[in-house]
Amino acid sequence: MMMATFMGLLGATELIAPDLSGNLSWIVFGRVRPIHVNLVLFGFVTPGLLGAAFYFLPRLLDTDLYSEGLGRVSVIVWNLILVCIVLSLAAGYSQGREYAEMIWPVDMLIVIVFTLIFFNFIMTVAQRREPLLYVSVWYACAAIVLTGLTYCLGNVIWRPDSGALVGIPDAILLWFYGHNIFGLLLTPLSLGVAYYVIPRVCRSPLYSHTLSLVGFWSLILVYTHIGTHHLLQVPVPTWLKVIATVDSVGMVIPVMVVLINLWYTAKGRLGEIHADIGGKFVFTGTILYFFVSIQGSMMALPQVQRITHFNNWVIAHSHVGVLGFAGMIALGGIYYILPRAVGKPLYSRYLADFQYWLVLIGVVGFTVVLTIAGLIQGNAWFNGETIYRVLPEIHMYYIVRASLGLIIFVAAVLGFYNIVRTIFGRPAETVVVEGSPTRELLAGSESGLAHQESGLAHQEVAS
Amino acid sequence: MYFPYFVTYIVVGLLLGLITFGWALHSGQFRDQQRARFLPLVRSETPAATSKFGRLETYVLMGMACIGLLISAFTLIYSLLRG
Repeated sequence: MMMATFMGLLGATELIAPDLSGNLSWIVFGRVRPIHVNLVLFGFVTPGLLGAAFYFLPRLLDTDLYSEGLGRVSVIVWNLILVCIVLSLAAGYSQGREYAEMIWPVDMLIVIVFTLIFFNFIMTVAQRREPLLYVSVWYACAAIVLTGLTYCLGNVIWRPDSGALVGIPDAILLWFYGHNIFGLLLTPLSLGVAYYVIPRVCRSPLYSHTLSLVGFWSLILVYTHIGTHHLLQVPVPTWLKVIATVDSVGMVIPVMVVLINLWYTAKGRLGEIHADIGGKFVFTGTILYFFVSIQGSMMALPQVQRITHFNNWVIAHSHVGVLGFAGMIALGGIYYILPRAVGKPLYSRYLADFQYWLVLIGVVGFTVVLTIAGLIQGNAWFNGETIYRVLPEIHMYYIVRASLGLIIFVAAVLGFYNIVRTIFGRPAETVVVEGSPTRELLAGSESGLAHQESGLAHQEVAS
Repeated sequence: MYFPYFVTYIVVGLLLGLITFGWALHSGQFRDQQRARFLPLVRSETPAATSKFGRLETYVLMGMACIGLLISAFTLIYSLLRG
């Protein structure tokens, strides 16, 4: 997150001061921007969510992870990919397609790592002792399968030299990938984490598992077709535009199904959410999911898109989605799981809370500033204004945007410090419960309470 | 010519989806939904802790949510009027 947000900050600063990087070709805006985007995607949000999935999958399936060794290999390959992404893009080796800039060898490594993770997940599912698959398991497995397929197709991996088709077909394929890499990777992984963390933090069963499965299957049905809503103003086939627009509006169904389910689960238990920093991040992420989804459905309307598309409004939208929704949930997953995974209490609840507020202020600030800048740009373009007259008008907003980027970067540094101190902190003999009246509880009581809660669950089902 | 790629993806995706859905139906994944609601609670290690929202915190959070709603509503109305 630190590297990714630093690249974002550097890019935002270069938009204010284009000569900042001088003759250093490896940090010009055209290289910094794809590094920022791909590091946020593959370096911060996805691994944060995948880490949570690796934690909750065995617990929900009542088994061990199929292979810890394979998991470690996946982590090593994943980090190798991140190094390759930064080095290749900074050196100017790019396929020049937005969100799909990586060169073929890196593409292949990504496909391999997704295959390894899928194999580990599916084998864990196969050896499970719990017959029912909880909805988080569905989401995690679907995210890996769908991303594997989408990645191969979207990056045109059968053409190693260019990684692209030609003309409009390539634009269609690229936006199919560009939208789905967020919608079919970050969204299902984030929802899987939210469906796990919120009931646990609230100590309350999920409002409706049936409803959650309706949400899952409707997401699978609807989300795969909507990428072309980024191409409504270019000559792609009309039938494809119609499908993309209708399905984008139709996304309201899976989104509201998820949110109704999660919010009803937390109904009357906001105190529990507030007391757990992981739950706080995740719950805020669900609220931002509402905003980003409504924006997405709204933007797909051709009438609205004439003003909002191809300008900073889309950047505002993507920041609400990736940082506000998926990023918040990834951070929540990390803060919820890390103390349990390493068996040590969180180093500082105060720092985590501070980070929460910095990220939240940053996201809301981005939304406001980039929406205003986007509407100025969109309106100017709609009226046929030349770009050199528009740029001075939005300069001030670019300065505020870079300042907000600095806030997000500081948040990332604080989070990193907190996580490192937690990992390398003193192993606790007791489990510390933040905000609990008793503060400490013997770690050994875990199994006893589990049986107790399990018994209560069965009682409620029986009644 | 881009249709073969899409057709392949659609067929593979549809087949995977149908096979998975069929398996889920056959293996009883849609039965016993009441028990499924409690699955994340198994192995819950501690009783729930609670804490109250401060007044300032509540106002700030509500304010941020209102800003989000207002700016989204403004964008929609403005774009529909201008677009």
